Amino acid sequence: MANQGNVVAAQHKFATKSEWDLIKAVQNGDKQAYNRLYQTYIGQVYGLCFRLTGEKMLAEDAAQEVFIQLWRKIGNFKGDSKFSTWLHTVTSNITISYIRKQKGWLQKMFNIEDSVAMNAEADESSSSVDIESYVARLPERARIVFVLHAIEGYRHEEIATMTDMAVGSSKAQFHRAKHLLKEWMGYE
Amino acid sequence: MSKANFEQTLAEQLANVDKELQPDKDLWPGIELALSSEIADSPPVVAGNKMYLVAATIAIFGLIGWLAVNQQPVSLTGVDLVASLSKQHLEQKNALLVSFQDQPALTQNWQDQLIELDDAADAIKTALENEPNNMALLKMLQSVHQQQINLIERVHSPKWQQMSQI
Repeated sequence: MANQGNVVAAQHKFATKSEWDLIKAVQNGDKQAYNRLYQTYIGQVYGLCFRLTGEKMLAEDAAQEVFIQLWRKIGNFKGDSKFSTWLHTVTSNITISYIRKQKGWLQKMFNIEDSVAMNAEADESSSSVDIESYVARLPERARIVFVLHAIEGYRHEEIATMTDMAVGSSKAQFHRAKHLLKEWMGYE
Repeated sequence: MSKANFEQTLAEQLANVDKELQPDKDLWPGIELALSSEIADSPPVVAGNKMYLVAATIAIFGLIGWLAVNQQPVSLTGVDLVASLSKQHLEQKNALLVSFQDQPALTQNWQDQLIELDDAADAIKTALENEPNNMALLKMLQSVHQQQINLIERVHSPKWQQMSQI
């Protein structure tokens, strides 16, 4: 009983009762509850998917993939962290994996370089242009690292684990991203 | 413009980034459709008849598959053949999943493996859109389909489950 009390306390520490009830309902297979969870978190999930992929269509597909896989994975959520934090990590991992699968096959078949987006013409080279459009233009690996580190606040050690790259590579990609942004924003 | 200005401007712009973005279209219908084909939604199967049902399913779809493969060169080619193979495979796969839905799986990540094979099949089908009569690609697609069937059977097979406990 004491244990049960601790669990309940932990759940209330990281989620409101209504959110926890919603999560429990989803874990029990309630699809209407899952729709409510989707409505609550689609903005967070799609926002992260869009920044990581840099493309609307890929982001939509990735966000759908996140919610399809989340249905299977949500049983793993035990309430020992904030749900939004847990979902954030799940979204990052699934989206990075999704990008690898989509782009990996295309790159092998057509030898597409990751600099296609980078070579696209920008509307203007000025800091007044929305930072988001510059980030979307970054090469894939640089963009993923920049988004996770500068926008989402992950440490390079965490990014290295998520992206299966060395910590040094993560730092180098971040430096590369900043160098390109600096150039595009007219500071060089 | 100086480096300091850049760092400051970048920091300011990043601080103003809205973390939440809404997609242009409602993604829920696609998600709901995908979830509808999940095993959990399939109708329950009476446990006592399960093994007979599994055997019958495999036999029926095996027969359909054999007939399809042996008749397809005459009646179907290219895109139609790919569509037909995919449809038959989907029916066979779904029937097997229904049969095994109440049976514990040998591994935890078998559904991830199934998705990876789905992705491989999708990639081959995309390539087949450009070369619909490429026999090597068609054989690859059939091979991936067969790997999925083998995977589903293997992770639910009592024989393999007993072996894993030894």
